[in-house]
Amino acid sequence: MPLSNAPVAAYAASVESLAECLHEALREPVPSDGVVAGHVRRAADTKAALAAVRVLGPDVFAPALLAGVLPGPLDREAVAEALRAFPVGPGEPVEAIVLAEAQAAVIARPERPDAGTRQHRTDARTLADADWVSFAQCLARMSPLALPGCESAVAELARRRSLDVSRGVVRAMLRRDYPTAARLARWSALVNGRGAAEALRLEPVVAHVVQCGSSSARMALDVAVLQRLSPARQEEG
Amino acid sequence: MSRDEAVERRDLARQVSARALGWLHRNRHLGSFPADTSAELADPDGVYKPLGESALAAGMARRAAGVLPDEENAARALLEFGWDQLRRGDLLYERQLRYPAMTDPLEVYAPFAAAGYRHGRLDGLLAHLTATGSYWAVEQLPNRRLAVANAARLTGLPVDGDWASLTEATWLGRRPEPWLLDWMTAYCMTHTVFHVTDWGRRPHALPDPVVEYLTHWLPVWMEVWAEISEWDLLAELVIVDACLPQPRCTADVWRRLASVQRADGLVPRDGKPVDSGERQAFTDHHHTTAVAVMAGALTLLRDSDAVPVD
Repeated sequence: MPLSNAPVAAYAASVESLAECLHEALREPVPSDGVVAGHVRRAADTKAALAAVRVLGPDVFAPALLAGVLPGPLDREAVAEALRAFPVGPGEPVEAIVLAEAQAAVIARPERPDAGTRQHRTDARTLADADWVSFAQCLARMSPLALPGCESAVAELARRRSLDVSRGVVRAMLRRDYPTAARLARWSALVNGRGAAEALRLEPVVAHVVQCGSSSARMALDVAVLQRLSPARQEEG
Repeated sequence: MSRDEAVERRDLARQVSARALGWLHRNRHLGSFPADTSAELADPDGVYKPLGESALAAGMARRAAGVLPDEENAARALLEFGWDQLRRGDLLYERQLRYPAMTDPLEVYAPFAAAGYRHGRLDGLLAHLTATGSYWAVEQLPNRRLAVANAARLTGLPVDGDWASLTEATWLGRRPEPWLLDWMTAYCMTHTVFHVTDWGRRPHALPDPVVEYLTHWLPVWMEVWAEISEWDLLAELVIVDACLPQPRCTADVWRRLASVQRADGLVPRDGKPVDSGERQAFTDHHHTTAVAVMAGALTLLRDSDAVPVD
C-alpha cells in the first residue's frame, strides 16, 4: 500500500473514525447500509477512508465475525474497492500482505473464510523459529487476524506458542505500551478459548489497559474484541 | 539451546566473573573503613555493606573454584581483606552488642562464617539473641525476614519460623501480576529467591508454582530491564535464573553483560557514564561488579543442570 507520500494525519484520523464505527457496531446491530460502506460513503476524503479500511485488515469484519454472521454485501464491496485502490505490492511488509490476503479471503468466501494461503503458511514457518520477542512483535502487527472464523496458520502457531504470546503481553505492559498489549491479549484470548494453557490472567490486563491506556478508538476496538474473545464469552455464545 | 550457544554462555560467564573479581580485588583498598571507625557506623551503606557483598562474591567464586581455578587466590585475598576490615569480627561483635535488635551483624557475618571465618564471642552472642523472641519479632519486610533466616542458617543458628510461610509472605510468594513488577519490587523478588535457595545451593527449595511462575516471566523481566540498560538488576535476574532447578539464561543475556563490562572488569550499574574518579566509580559500581561475579560463578556452578543442548 503506497502510503509513503500520503497525508498521514488524514489517514490516521480516518483509521480512528472507522475503528470507532466498528466498535459501535459491536454494541449495536450492524446498520443496514453496512459499517465499512457507510464509513467510505460518508467520508469527505474517500482515498483516506479506503486506506483506513486496508489498515484495519480483517478487523473491518469484526462485528460480523464475532456475531457469527456473514459480512453484508455492501461491506464486502467496500473492502474490495479498498483492495483495488491500495493493492499489496511485492515490497510490502509481510504483515501487510497477510492482512490483505485475509481481507480478500473473507470477501471471496464469506461463509468460511480461510486465510491460510501459501504466503501465510510460509510466514508461519518463519515465525515458528523466531525468538519470543520477535514473535510477539510480529503477532501484535497481525492482531486483526485474531478473530473467530479468520482461520490461519498464524493462529495455530499462536496457540502452540501461547506462553510466548503471554510474554509479549507482559513485556508490552511493563513498557506501558498498552496498544501492543491489547493487540497481543487478543491472541491470548483467542487461543485460551481453543485450549491453550492459560499462563496469564487477562481480566486484570484488560482492566489496567482500560484505566491507564489512551483514548485511542483503535485500542478501544482491540479491547472490545478481546473481551468478546475471552473463553467465558465464547462459552456463553 | 544449541551446543555453540551453551559453550558461548559458559565462556562469557567465566570471562565476566573473572574480570569482575579481579576488579574487586585490585580496588579493595577503596572499600576501607576510615581509621576512627566505631561499631556505631554512621554510614552503614558506605563501607560496611559493600564489604559483606564482596565477601559474598568471593565466597561464591571459591565455591566455583573447580570452574574458576585461576581466581581462587583473589577470592581468598578479598575475604581476608574484608575480615581484617571488620577487625577479625570484633567490629561485628561490638555492633551486635551495642544494638541487640539489629540483624545486619549476622547478615554481614554469614558469608564470612560460611567461608570459615568465625568469631567465638559473636557466635555466643548470636546464639543467645536468636533464641529470644525479640530477635525474630523485629519489624521487617518479608524478603528481609528471609535474609535473616538464611544468614542464621548459613551461620549454623536455628531459624524461627518455617520457610514455606516466610516465602508465602513475600511478593513472589503470592505470584501476582508479572506486569506490575517495578524496579524496587524486582529487587525484593530477587532476594526472596537468593535466600530461599541459599544462593543456589538449594535449587529445589522454592515451591513448584513459584518455579513455574519464574520460568514463565524471568525472560520478560530480563528483556525489559536489559532494554533500558539496568545492568545491576539484569545481573541479579541472572542469579535468580541460576538458582532455579533448571537454569535457562541465554547466551544473549551474557553477551549484553560482557559488552558493557569495562576492560578492567568494572560492570556499570546502568547506562549512564561511569565517573572518571576511581573512588566515585567504586562507590557507584561496586555492587554491580560484585553481582556480576556471583552471576558468572553461579552460572558455571549450575551449568550441568541448565536446559539441555539441542
